[in-house]
Amino acid sequence: MDKSSPQEGESWISRKTRGLRSILSLAKRARRLRLILLFTMLLIALLPLGVTVGLSFYQYRRLIIEETHNNVRWSANSTRQAIEAFLDKLETTVLVINNAYTLEELADPEILDQIFSKLRAEHDGLVDMSLIGPDGIQKSYSGPFDLSGKNYSESTWFQNALTRKIYVSEVFLGYRNIPHFVIAASKRDPKGRGYWVFRVSIDTLILDQFLESMDTEAVDDIFLINEQGKLQSSSRYYGEVTDQASLRLMAQPKKTGTTLMVDQREDHPLIRAVSFVQGSPWILVLDHQRYFHRTSWITFRNQLISIFFTCTLLAVIIVFWLADYLARNIQKTNESREMLLQQTEHTSKLASIGRLAAGVAHEINNPLSIINEKAGLMKDLLQRTDDFRHRDKFIAQLDALEKAVQRSRVITHRLLGFARRMEVSLESLQVAEVIEEVLGFLTKEAAYRNIKIEKFFEPDLPDIQSDRGQLQQVFLNIINNAIDAVADGGEISIACQKTGQGIQVDISDNGPGIPPEIMKNIFEPFFTTKRGKGKEGTGLGLSITYGLVKKLGGEISVRSEGNVGTTFSMTFPLVQKRRAEG
Amino acid sequence: MNKIKVLIIDDEMDFASTLAERLELRDFDSKAVESGDEALSLFEGQWRPDVVILDLKMPGRDGLATLDLIKKEDPAIEVIMLTGHGSTTSGIAGMKKGLFDYLMKPIDISVIVESINKAAAKKTA
Repeated sequence: MDKSSPQEGESWISRKTRGLRSILSLAKRARRLRLILLFTMLLIALLPLGVTVGLSFYQYRRLIIEETHNNVRWSANSTRQAIEAFLDKLETTVLVINNAYTLEELADPEILDQIFSKLRAEHDGLVDMSLIGPDGIQKSYSGPFDLSGKNYSESTWFQNALTRKIYVSEVFLGYRNIPHFVIAASKRDPKGRGYWVFRVSIDTLILDQFLESMDTEAVDDIFLINEQGKLQSSSRYYGEVTDQASLRLMAQPKKTGTTLMVDQREDHPLIRAVSFVQGSPWILVLDHQRYFHRTSWITFRNQLISIFFTCTLLAVIIVFWLADYLARNIQKTNESREMLLQQTEHTSKLASIGRLAAGVAHEINNPLSIINEKAGLMKDLLQRTDDFRHRDKFIAQLDALEKAVQRSRVITHRLLGFARRMEVSLESLQVAEVIEEVLGFLTKEAAYRNIKIEKFFEPDLPDIQSDRGQLQQVFLNIINNAIDAVADGGEISIACQKTGQGIQVDISDNGPGIPPEIMKNIFEPFFTTKRGKGKEGTGLGLSITYGLVKKLGGEISVRSEGNVGTTFSMTFPLVQKRRAEG
Repeated sequence: MNKIKVLIIDDEMDFASTLAERLELRDFDSKAVESGDEALSLFEGQWRPDVVILDLKMPGRDGLATLDLIKKEDPAIEVIMLTGHGSTTSGIAGMKKGLFDYLMKPIDISVIVESINKAAAKKTA
């Protein structure tokens, strides 16, 4: 036929391999889809997690660093302020004494002793007190050492003190060979003999007390140095007082306030606060080491890491499972769609074959009937003719010819039935109406044989979507069967009712019933028990009926009981799920 | 009793005339024509069949249209459709128009005879 595609001729093997190939490519596509799903979902799941964990890590670390910096700065500041306050108080005291007493009074050891003992009661760390003349020679002394008459003219502190109103010295050993520092005030000799120096010396232990009071968890080392790097108090790591500290300042400290310096070396992270002690030659240095190794930080970091890994593991497991599940489902859907497509293709091919077959069958029926009639006429004439040689043989030949026509007829009618089965055109219809139409076709035969046909149609049945011609075919065939089955005067009942999502039709007869061994095969193609009775009015077997009902989306079943009768039950859906191919 | 008059309308004259001859042999008064128009002219010649055997697919006026024509001319005439192009739909359409029977070609002569007899019985009844 012209309409048929060039693929019509392809063998079933090539069709099968084509199907297999497309299934294989589907599997490949499914694998790729699984990978894409996997990566996308992993990214979606892990990216925010990673960002959150990273941010937490960074933020907490920043907070810890900030807190540490603040602690260190605060410690350094308070220590420095304490030292400054202490110095300030002493300086004031020294100035007051220096101003309140005359040189003569201060030069008097008794008065000086009185002053010293009073002062010592008020101030910690005071070691001694003395008055030194402009020539550098100690004029009077009050204290535990024997330092009278010592010459300080070469001492740096003395020279510095001469030129200033008040002076705080560096820490030094001096004649007593004990680390101490002095606070000195100069006093002009009213008799014009130059400047005298009044001094108190202070044990550096008092400085150590200030520093030790800050020796907390936030502090690893706290000490004083001078601008030349000489230790003014003992340091845990850099040596004893008056040692030269091998100290490297990481930046130039500001003259006021506290300067923080951070050494970010991996193995030895260090934060150092450096602060000039105002009114003195000292620089306060506070070191804080290993500030990333604090317990809270390590606990937090470990918790964060374990949360991250647990979540990652969970996400990976869930994502793997989900991707697998989705890909499997999509693959299944694709496969069934592919199958459906192939089936559709197959069905549409069958349909065109069916159309071709129907055309051929129709065309052949006419010449067949001519042959049939001609042969029949010849036989008729022969039967009315006197006997002659070979007369019986001629009649036998014509019988054979008629039989061959009958066989051809069965074939063309099967082809027509097959073609009809393939084509579906849907419309909205009343099942009861279709049954009535078919009955109109059959009532004459039924009346002739005195068969009673009873109808039980539920009123107001809904329309269904179906193919009228094919439904007619179905009912025609089943009712025809029933008429054939019952004896003359038998009964057939047709019931039609709504059930669930469809219409149910029951066609019952009170015939002899169907033997169980036949029941098994009843819907199989070309299975018949009434061959050759000249009663194949439609040429369609129950298998075709079964195929038609299925094609119309319905169900058909049969119950039969010996000597009671047979019931065919069919249900047809109200709406066709998918358009049948035609 | 008069012979039953049978008219065969079929564009396949080979078929129609042979069938007519066979029916003659079976004691029917039968004629064969090629089309509905010819049938109508026969009616005018005062030969009216009791039963018409009608083909479905014919050039020009087809079987169902011819059926209408015959039923209009004389509703008493019973018509039997005999066709190689049978389908349930056309069968039912024909039944609605008053068709007596619907048979498929090729067919055993006995089935036709039986059907003609039933149709004639109905007509006279």
